[in-house]
Amino acid sequence: MFKYLNHLVISKFVMAATGAFIVLFITGHAIGNLQIFLGKDALNTYAAFLQSLGEILWAERIVLGLAFVLHIITSIYLKLYNNKVRPTKYAVTKYIKARFSSRTMIWTGIMIGSFLVFHILHFTSRDIDPKYKEMHEVYQDEHASYFGFDETVMQATNANDFGIGMHPIIKQRHDTYAMVVDGFQNIWISLFYILAVILLGFHLSHAIQSMFQTLGINGPRFTPLMIKISNAYGIFIALAFAIVPLSVLLGFIGRGL
Amino acid sequence: MILDSKVPSGPLEKKWSQFKADMKPVNPANKRKFKVLVVGTGLAGGAAAATLAELGYNVEAFTYHDSPRRAHSIAAQGGINAAKNYQNDGDSIWRLFYDTIKGGDFRSREANVYRLAEVSANIIDQSTAMGVPFAREYGGYLSNRSFGGALVSRTFYARGQTGQQLLLGVYAALSRQIEAKKVKMHNRKEMMDVVVVDGRAVGIVVRDLLTNKLESHYGDAVILATGGYASVFYLSTNALYCNVTASYRAYKRGAAFANPCYTQIHPTCIPQSGDHQSKLTLMSESLRNDGRIWVPKKAGDKRNPADIPEEERDYYLERMYPSYGNLSPRDISSRAAKRVCDEGRGVNATGKAVYLDFSDAINRLGQKVIADRYGNLFDMYENIIGVNPYKNPMMIYPAAHYAMGGLWVDYNLMSSIPGLFVLGEANFSDHGANRLGASALMQGLADGYFVIPNTINAYFGKGKPQTIPTDHPEFKKVEVEVQERITKLLNVNGKQSPTQLHKKLGAIMWEYVGMARNREGLKKAIGLIQELREEFWHDLKIVGPDSYLNPVIEKASRVADFMEFAEILAYDALMREESCGAHFREEYQTEEGEAKRNDKDYSYVAAWEFQGVGKEPILHKEDLKFEFVHLGERSYK
Amino acid sequence: MRINLHVWRQPNTEAKGHIQLYTLDDVSPDMSFLEMLDVLNEQLIQKGDDPVAFESDCREGICGTCGMVIDGIPHGKQSGATVCQLHMRKFKDGDDIYVEPYRHTVFPVIKDLFVDRSAYDRIIQAGGYVSANVGSAPDANANPIPKGIADLAMDAAQCIGCGACAAACPNGSAMLFVAAKVSHFNLLPQGQPEKATRARAMVKRMEDEGFGGCSNYYECEAACPKNISVRFIAKLNRDYLYAAFKEGV
Repeated sequence: MFKYLNHLVISKFVMAATGAFIVLFITGHAIGNLQIFLGKDALNTYAAFLQSLGEILWAERIVLGLAFVLHIITSIYLKLYNNKVRPTKYAVTKYIKARFSSRTMIWTGIMIGSFLVFHILHFTSRDIDPKYKEMHEVYQDEHASYFGFDETVMQATNANDFGIGMHPIIKQRHDTYAMVVDGFQNIWISLFYILAVILLGFHLSHAIQSMFQTLGINGPRFTPLMIKISNAYGIFIALAFAIVPLSVLLGFIGRGL
Repeated sequence: MILDSKVPSGPLEKKWSQFKADMKPVNPANKRKFKVLVVGTGLAGGAAAATLAELGYNVEAFTYHDSPRRAHSIAAQGGINAAKNYQNDGDSIWRLFYDTIKGGDFRSREANVYRLAEVSANIIDQSTAMGVPFAREYGGYLSNRSFGGALVSRTFYARGQTGQQLLLGVYAALSRQIEAKKVKMHNRKEMMDVVVVDGRAVGIVVRDLLTNKLESHYGDAVILATGGYASVFYLSTNALYCNVTASYRAYKRGAAFANPCYTQIHPTCIPQSGDHQSKLTLMSESLRNDGRIWVPKKAGDKRNPADIPEEERDYYLERMYPSYGNLSPRDISSRAAKRVCDEGRGVNATGKAVYLDFSDAINRLGQKVIADRYGNLFDMYENIIGVNPYKNPMMIYPAAHYAMGGLWVDYNLMSSIPGLFVLGEANFSDHGANRLGASALMQGLADGYFVIPNTINAYFGKGKPQTIPTDHPEFKKVEVEVQERITKLLNVNGKQSPTQLHKKLGAIMWEYVGMARNREGLKKAIGLIQELREEFWHDLKIVGPDSYLNPVIEKASRVADFMEFAEILAYDALMREESCGAHFREEYQTEEGEAKRNDKDYSYVAAWEFQGVGKEPILHKEDLKFEFVHLGERSYK
Repeated sequence: MRINLHVWRQPNTEAKGHIQLYTLDDVSPDMSFLEMLDVLNEQLIQKGDDPVAFESDCREGICGTCGMVIDGIPHGKQSGATVCQLHMRKFKDGDDIYVEPYRHTVFPVIKDLFVDRSAYDRIIQAGGYVSANVGSAPDANANPIPKGIADLAMDAAQCIGCGACAAACPNGSAMLFVAAKVSHFNLLPQGQPEKATRARAMVKRMEDEGFGGCSNYYECEAACPKNISVRFIAKLNRDYLYAAFKEGV
């Protein structure tokens, strides 16, 4: 399976293609996150929707995981290979066009990768703080109601007074909102997240235009524009992710929770 | 020595096709049994090596560069002529032939020049097919420009890098044959001598520049395509490695050297800035279309050019040649520049430069128009000199540029040693006493792509020559001689570097054997060269390792040959008591200072036979018979 | 001007090199960088020392023979120029200048600043040509080529094969060189029959020679004395992808 690593240009395509997939995911993730500003209900609904996808979610997770694995293995392999080609440094090191972001891709990549592990354990599998597994919210499903009597719901909500008749559906779901707020109220975790997403934005600012170049899309007007878009995109992603912990820290979100 | 040109009989335009029809081709199955050594991988040598390999010959190619792509053909800027008549302006093979022979002041062989014109069109076809990106018009068809000495537009070009693109085409073809194992490429090996057995060239001795070891190679034929010798002047537009060694060693082994005095001086080069100068850079002559050439009227006037009022300037070309003015031919404007500088009116710190002033043109047309026309040249000038030529006049000075002379060859491009062929600038055959612009690339490729594959066939058609093993006593003898010469260089233990001595030689050559020559000066030069050669062998200093890469030894070995060759050049110039083309003898000029040719006494090729170092060589004459053209006056008044 | 030259000296490939300081007085601003080295070498010869070995031939920026790293940049700080076109007026009196050979495992140092760049030749041999035997060509105007295409091919064809791109690349990749050569032919109609094979074979040879991979740093473009654009690398990637689908890798 890793035979492609012997081909430098194919390896580059793998980097670009897996990168493209990850970028799509990241974009969706960042926009999804912003729903926290629409309130607890919106976020938790969104989270529950994702959970409800079931097999589709798992298929996506597997493909994404594979993309990450290939992206990481290829990059590390290439880096080690390339380092062997030019083992001796010049007495004076000077770069003209190679931007700092491009030269640090492997390092920002490794740091983002480590962050990712933490992030998954923190908010996805919730093993870092197991209490997140138990955070539930009981809510009222506005889209449906039923006629009858449901003891479990009655017990859970302590809402005996509804009696018999038309009832809104009362359900229970994971309280992602509370988890996020709780997580980010820890200043160190928040700062760690903010730092990581800045690195991510930095990584992406080179990655996007690099991806187009690798896939052979380059033109005298397109490329300068794409470099600008790439920078803007990196900033956007960093801001979109960072604004959540920042807002929690500053108390714009989750006050009174 | 009998110089038989072997020109086929019959009408001029039929000679080449008749030659090909009469030739007995080598059986294709046998071709790989013939080994051909090609020395030099520029346009001529590289094209020959690739083409012969395509035909099936077993080829070995040699270059002293690290790669065949670096030959100095690469530096040719302007373009390549071809009688395509794409512009419908009346061009034809005959017209290109006539322009070339007239440009050479009727000192070249009719049949060779006609053949050159004949195959010129094929060169463009072939190069295009190989992917040479010639300039094109919007319709997608090839673009042409006009060039000096021609009234039609027949020059094909690839920006200002025509030589580069053509050489890369050759290099690509050669690379393909190397990959196919049909050419064995020897990089960083310099030819030191030719081996001749029973009057036939059978191989070469080369020096591996990395290890300083000598190697012998056998070949059923040896092709020299080793370029020209303009570096005999030290400062020239030639590359630093350019040298005469291969040709000169062949000459010492019995090949006749023809017309060495025909050396072209180019008028528009960037002047020398000081003693450190290593080479001179050519700028396109097209600059003279809009620039006005002048010097101060007063000798020693060191004022800033802007401070010199109009009436104190001498626009000497406009004054002396009112009709052609600043566009006078290369040799005339070069000599005029030297004359005013010798009068002490030269500019620049060295006093060896004249102004080429664009202020009139800029006032008339605006800076933008001038920038569109010459922008890249102005940038190049500013980079080298550090002066903005839009604000201050440019400075130019003539420099040695090209060698029309070279080893004598017959119609087959074979030298007077059977089996030794000479192509490109290294031979004498096509340019007579002066070369037209954009003709050097044409000749190199014609020789390599189209002529030699046919003429070598004619040589081999007689049957395969007997193979001489490289442990043959003659190979050993030549190896020993080459080694002894190197050892001798190493053992001089004097005080001067090869470069210092080369500079001294260049100074003598430029002063007395440069663009204007006279009897006394040439005689004096011969004496000075002999003295300098003595000095060389008593005062040369070589440092560095002698069994590993050592550029000082390389340089010394080349300069040693220049020290001998320079004398032949001077003898030839002294012998030729007429002015023709680039050879100008002050004694033979019209009242207006024009060259005065003497067809009655000097309408021949002067081919020199080696007699020993310091001895006057024997002159052999190949009479030039002009059956098809009328010898006209060359007037630019 | 007075110049402090820190020059890499290494007697042969196996030897361990070191930086040696030479101080040159009376450097004229009109000298080219290589002429300044010539002056240094003449002084070394007078002293009986081995002069600094470096390669250069045409000294007008076209042959590609010269190439050394000056203050960390192949061919020095002047953009779009070879080292032979760099003049001392670009430096100041009292400057310290570091001069090193290309540092690349594929370009081993032969001596001092002299390196072996024959790998570039072998890449060309793998496919940098149109297979058109002499004699087989149709009339040059038989196939018109749009001017834009011809000009773009010329932009790529300007490469002088000096090795600066691989020397400048932090990965030691020769992609700009390969891309320029592949693009030159693959853009033109004459190059179409061998388009896929050429892209595949030349990249393969580049890999076999031991060059690194491209990370889109674009440092090659900055160092290129002929300003060859990295857009040709994108084109090479495209052609390679096409070739990979067509012929495999």
